Amino acid sequence: MAKSLLVISRQAPWSGLSARESLDIVLAGGAFDLPIGLLFMDDGVFQLSQTQGPAAVQQKDLTTNLKALEMFGVEDVYACGKSLAERGMFPGNLNINIKQLPQEQDISELIDRYDHVITL
Amino acid sequence: MATLHVLSHSPFADSRLTSCLRLLGSKDALLLCGDATYALTQATAPLEALESRAGAFELYALQEDVHARNLTIPAWVKCVDYPEFVELSIRYDRVNTWL
Repeated sequence: MAKSLLVISRQAPWSGLSARESLDIVLAGGAFDLPIGLLFMDDGVFQLSQTQGPAAVQQKDLTTNLKALEMFGVEDVYACGKSLAERGMFPGNLNINIKQLPQEQDISELIDRYDHVITL
Repeated sequence: MATLHVLSHSPFADSRLTSCLRLLGSKDALLLCGDATYALTQATAPLEALESRAGAFELYALQEDVHARNLTIPAWVKCVDYPEFVELSIRYDRVNTWL
């Protein structure tokens, strides 16, 4: 039985490579049918914003990769409710469907369900 | 099912410590190494945040990083060396390194 992996993505899409790399890990895991989950927290939730103009800073659009999650069979995509609220974002106006985790305790319980965790 | 959270960045530069404390479970432990040991600096907000949770979880600090920074650490914080760090990594179900 393959070990499960939770990737916690906590950087904005424009602050270095973390956002793209965490997404690449998840997509690679999904391609190999590994039990994999993705949690956006802190500035990581900015990746879920519908209004992004990556061309202005000569970057590629990360939202295309996000939309590939479903195609790669990654269904367990979560976001920290508090991080969303702090940044004026709501589950209804994001670029992909996520499960919102309203309480801190929900996040620790989520971590407990996985064999490995990677925080980027 | 418990997690060992490992922090290595200064708590004065970013929000890793704050976020980690938010989701730390009661069976979890926190290990401070590198610049994260600055969280143990006397009379600072990070130390206060840790003290307010003292006893609620195990807190470890990597000895050589503490010594390098000449920090005086509170008695309730356990100092560990590298072999003990390895032991802790094995003892907990998973290790979450906040990169």
